[in-house]
Amino acid sequence: MIINNKKFVLGVKDLKTYFFTEDGVVKAVDGVDFEVYQGETLGLVGESGCGKSVTAFSIMRLLDYPGKIVGGEIIFKGENLLTKNDAEMRKIRGKEIAMIFQEPMTALNPVLTVGFQISEALMMHFKISKEEAIKKSVELLKKVGIPMPEQRVDEYSYQLSGGMRQRVMIAMAMSCDPVLLIADEPTTALDVTIQAQILDLMRSLLRGLNGSLIMITHDLGVIAEIADRIAVMYASKIVEYADKKTIFYTPLHPYTFGLLTSIPRLDLDLKRLDVIPGIVPNPLHFPSGCKFNPRCRFATNKCREEEPPLTKVEEGHLVRCWNVDKVVKEVKKGLLVGV
Amino acid sequence: MNRTVRKLFSNASSLVGIVLLFIFIIIAILAPVIAPPLSDDPYQVPRMSWDVNPQPPGFLMSDNIREIYDFMGTEIKYDKAICGTAEGGYDIFYGLMWGTRTAFRIGLITVAVAGLIGVFIGSISAYFGGWIDEILMRITDIFLSFPFLIAAMVLTTVLGRGLDKVMIALIIFGWMGYARLIRGSILSAKEETYVMAAKALGVKDIRIIWKHLLPNTIFTVLVQATMSIGSMVITAAALSFLGVGAPLGYADWGQMVSFARNWIIGAPGHAGQYWYTVFYPGIFIVLFVLAWNLIGDTLRDILDPRLRGEL
Repeated sequence: MIINNKKFVLGVKDLKTYFFTEDGVVKAVDGVDFEVYQGETLGLVGESGCGKSVTAFSIMRLLDYPGKIVGGEIIFKGENLLTKNDAEMRKIRGKEIAMIFQEPMTALNPVLTVGFQISEALMMHFKISKEEAIKKSVELLKKVGIPMPEQRVDEYSYQLSGGMRQRVMIAMAMSCDPVLLIADEPTTALDVTIQAQILDLMRSLLRGLNGSLIMITHDLGVIAEIADRIAVMYASKIVEYADKKTIFYTPLHPYTFGLLTSIPRLDLDLKRLDVIPGIVPNPLHFPSGCKFNPRCRFATNKCREEEPPLTKVEEGHLVRCWNVDKVVKEVKKGLLVGV
Repeated sequence: MNRTVRKLFSNASSLVGIVLLFIFIIIAILAPVIAPPLSDDPYQVPRMSWDVNPQPPGFLMSDNIREIYDFMGTEIKYDKAICGTAEGGYDIFYGLMWGTRTAFRIGLITVAVAGLIGVFIGSISAYFGGWIDEILMRITDIFLSFPFLIAAMVLTTVLGRGLDKVMIALIIFGWMGYARLIRGSILSAKEETYVMAAKALGVKDIRIIWKHLLPNTIFTVLVQATMSIGSMVITAAALSFLGVGAPLGYADWGQMVSFARNWIIGAPGHAGQYWYTVFYPGIFIVLFVLAWNLIGDTLRDILDPRLRGEL
């Protein structure tokens, strides 16, 4: 399928993932739509608990009890992943869609060597011998910039630094040349200097493969660095969806605007840092109407009564808000950082 | 692993355990040399006399038994009851030497098989969770609700006399501890990100359990298994003592103790006259169990990160 001259890789349509807990149904992802094109990076931004990781796990179909996908479609290469059985899904995981995790410290098994963990996927998906897989692992380690790969391949995770472990995770994820890589906050646990290196590495590797990336993060700096398009999530739903420039220069949702104004700035003489008041609502008791209304400075009665739909304000820019015009005025005051 | 072995040898109590165990291994291996068998079945304890009363250490084989061996044309390579004889003239020393093999067999086989069953059930139960966990754990609970010794006794009685039956009974009622132990460890280990990472690479569930989870969790079971080798031997001895274990005359420590049952107090006016009937088998059982417990204790100290002071 080709849309706008770009090859379509993944389409998530009206995805609903609920957790059936003892206290009630938690709607962790409630009607999320987005698509990913070949070679592009989609940034999924939001606060903790807004459902961005659950969206990723839903795509991989890796949700554990009591989480369950209750509705929607996940179209990958023209096929709905939600109708696949476990064996078919296993063939896709690692080979077609790979994932990188937040904690490189715990994402590597402490009792297995680095080489074993990289070659495991290779052996399974390509049916190659152990020797070949180890050889390929060494190449991969070299590719992700680990010095002395021949030696490192026999080492354990405790012998590596945090940045190196994340490089190993990237090597594992990229081992089978996936079409789509999902990175769940891959740089959160790393030093800032290492963060940039890891982002560069992911970008260059993906460019080589012409692969797509879904970058999940709460760090707008990371997003500014790497994303082509951005979906901002709040309380289980996408509230704004546009390309990077639009999001950073002309945000239309009060939440996006709030996120951008709460980035500390050194070039302006501000007494206080702007913050979004309040906390993310408990998913068991979402407020009525727009879920952002208790924290929104533009909220009106309509916001409290009726939830706004995700509407298209211009080509490729979707917003879930009743008061777009008020935000526009505010944005014009020019308090945004810009990209 | 090297570190574990080094610590086992540098710790005084485990060193005692290792030395004891080493002696028992030597005895088990050299049993045919130390106590040469007089019949085709080496596990049949030879009788040194037909007398019901135990005979003191140093007793030489009585003439009427010698005649039988001469008549059968068997060479009498062994005719002195170094530790005396038990009730019915059974040679205690011979029973102890060959009983060491029996003890190892009971301890190692029952613990290994029970451990395998327990680890299998516990890991499946913990990893898959849900109704599989519910069913398997309720089955485990049912088995746990039987008092161990009594259940094993009843089952051995039902199955019939014999060491293999004892082992079957011990296995059937001995795996639940391992199942629970490994279930707990895997329940916490499976929440680790590396399990999710392996799943995200498309690794099969069985392989995740076998290659990723068990190497991280098996140590608690190893410690538990080492400790229970001793207690399995005690239970088997108890069954033999109660008369439902090894067949009459079979080289088994429990049997040797059971031979002493009527002679522990001694004759009137001669308290403790037959002390050797209970002392020698008793000391063997105690030392064997002690050896395993000392090793198990140290192993736990080494492998438990909380006791190691790393957490």
